[in-house]
Amino acid sequence: MSGEDRLDVDSPLTLPGFFSALADGDLLAGVCADCGEVLLPPRPACYGCGSRNVDVEPQPKTGEIYSYTAVHTPPPALEDDAPYTIAVVELDSGGRLTGRVDANYDAVGIGDPVELGTRALTDEERSLALEHELEWPLHVFEPV
Amino acid sequence: MPQPVIAAVGSSPVGRTDFPGRDLFSLALEEAFEGLPDPAELADAVYVGNQSEQYEHQIMHGTLLAEWAGLRNVPAERVEGCAAAGALALRHAAKDVRNGEHEGVLACGVEKMTAGGTGGATDALSAAFDRAIEQRSGVTAPSQYALLAQRYLHETDATEEDLAEIAVKNHRNAAKNPRAQFSDEIDTDTVLESPPVAPPLKLYDCAPVGDGAAVALVTTAAVADELGVPWVTVAGTGTAANNIAVAERNMTEIEGAAVAAESAYEEAGLEPEDVDVAEVHDAFTVSEALLSEAAGFAPTGYGYQSYLPPESREAGWTDVSLSPSGGLKARGHPIGATGILQAIEAYEQLTGVAGDRAVPGAETALLLNEGGVADAVTVAHVLTAGTEVAR
Ligand SMILES: [Zn+2]
Repeated sequence: MSGEDRLDVDSPLTLPGFFSALADGDLLAGVCADCGEVLLPPRPACYGCGSRNVDVEPQPKTGEIYSYTAVHTPPPALEDDAPYTIAVVELDSGGRLTGRVDANYDAVGIGDPVELGTRALTDEERSLALEHELEWPLHVFEPV
Repeated sequence: MPQPVIAAVGSSPVGRTDFPGRDLFSLALEEAFEGLPDPAELADAVYVGNQSEQYEHQIMHGTLLAEWAGLRNVPAERVEGCAAAGALALRHAAKDVRNGEHEGVLACGVEKMTAGGTGGATDALSAAFDRAIEQRSGVTAPSQYALLAQRYLHETDATEEDLAEIAVKNHRNAAKNPRAQFSDEIDTDTVLESPPVAPPLKLYDCAPVGDGAAVALVTTAAVADELGVPWVTVAGTGTAANNIAVAERNMTEIEGAAVAAESAYEEAGLEPEDVDVAEVHDAFTVSEALLSEAAGFAPTGYGYQSYLPPESREAGWTDVSLSPSGGLKARGHPIGATGILQAIEAYEQLTGVAGDRAVPGAETALLLNEGGVADAVTVAHVLTAGTEVAR
């Protein structure tokens, strides 16, 4: 690998690069040039076919709830936030992502449309974050 | 090549104990080697399944438990794969015996889960999930499995009552198992009315937090016969890792578990229909349903009928008995020890010492042990009866 090709913190193939783009409003995924698998977040090789021929492409931020639940017994630092809703969302690109849903459990159902946004970490979430994660935004799904 | 066999087993009490991990191991070792020569005479390598140093602030479990067993300057290592660590230890031991590298190996598992209370266990277990997306979103083990359960209930005819019946069945089995953490039978309403943990999963859908250690001596049939002990053959083993994030996997057909089971069946030269008894990774009730399908016991979408007697199940189900030990749900789930505890149940079923919970005529067992959520990693073993015993 030549020096110019090396991954750095600006590359969306690394987590700092992915979260930096997300903070700017861009959801980036790896898209396999060989089989079309959507890799969220991007990564250097495709788990669908093994190819390293992965392009980085902006993704739609809209999708549907694929499955969901509410966390009633959270990690101790998030005690005051519980119960909070989490879901697996299938984006319009076909890629799936787990995340918080900004709605009560009872107001959510499979198939409901949502849109991905971001917010800064709360103080409690910051207390759980590692130093390199402190500036990463948290992705949250909003019902639409 | 020698066939690996399990020739001795032992476990500590499972549940809330006053013992640190090494003492739990001492209790397991004492039972396994009662009336036998010293472990150092029968084994010259050690594998230890152990989930997390967060409980006791202790790693180096290979070194520590080898020492506690009286073995020195031998290969000894901790194996990590969250809750699949115990079966990984068994798999490594079986492969070492099969390829002739060692004639006897200790396959061990240990976890001191109660050390940090429920909150400590919640934190330690969440380390098994993807850090960047899943952990930062505040997921927990029950909520990860709840995502599977919600989708399973959406796509199949299964109901929350069916999942509750799996818990009821496993408590009923555990009541006949002296090794079990829970000895109380429960009814369906107890499960359905228990507090929500991550809907649709409730407290009684979840395996408990508990301490425990377990050990199995893996050796050859020749050694076991010389010792005059009953033994079972490790006829097949398989393992597969799927993606760490559950969203990236098939959430209703547990592919990694199917791959692991198929490779264990293939090595053993057996089919799902040949299996009489199975211990599957029912960390949450829905797992027993999903794994019954992945193991090839149940038609797709009907694994939830595992609690029914064979004649009442959907056509296409085998007549296998699921989790006669009480499973993770009621026998208990001391993470790193669970895979070895599953092997102990199979050993007792296949050597005719399972008492009131014996599956009549059992000759073949399947074990499925998982780590992370569902098939992030799965380890499968097929065990078959060795010595002729009166059954
Ligand atoms: Zn591909």
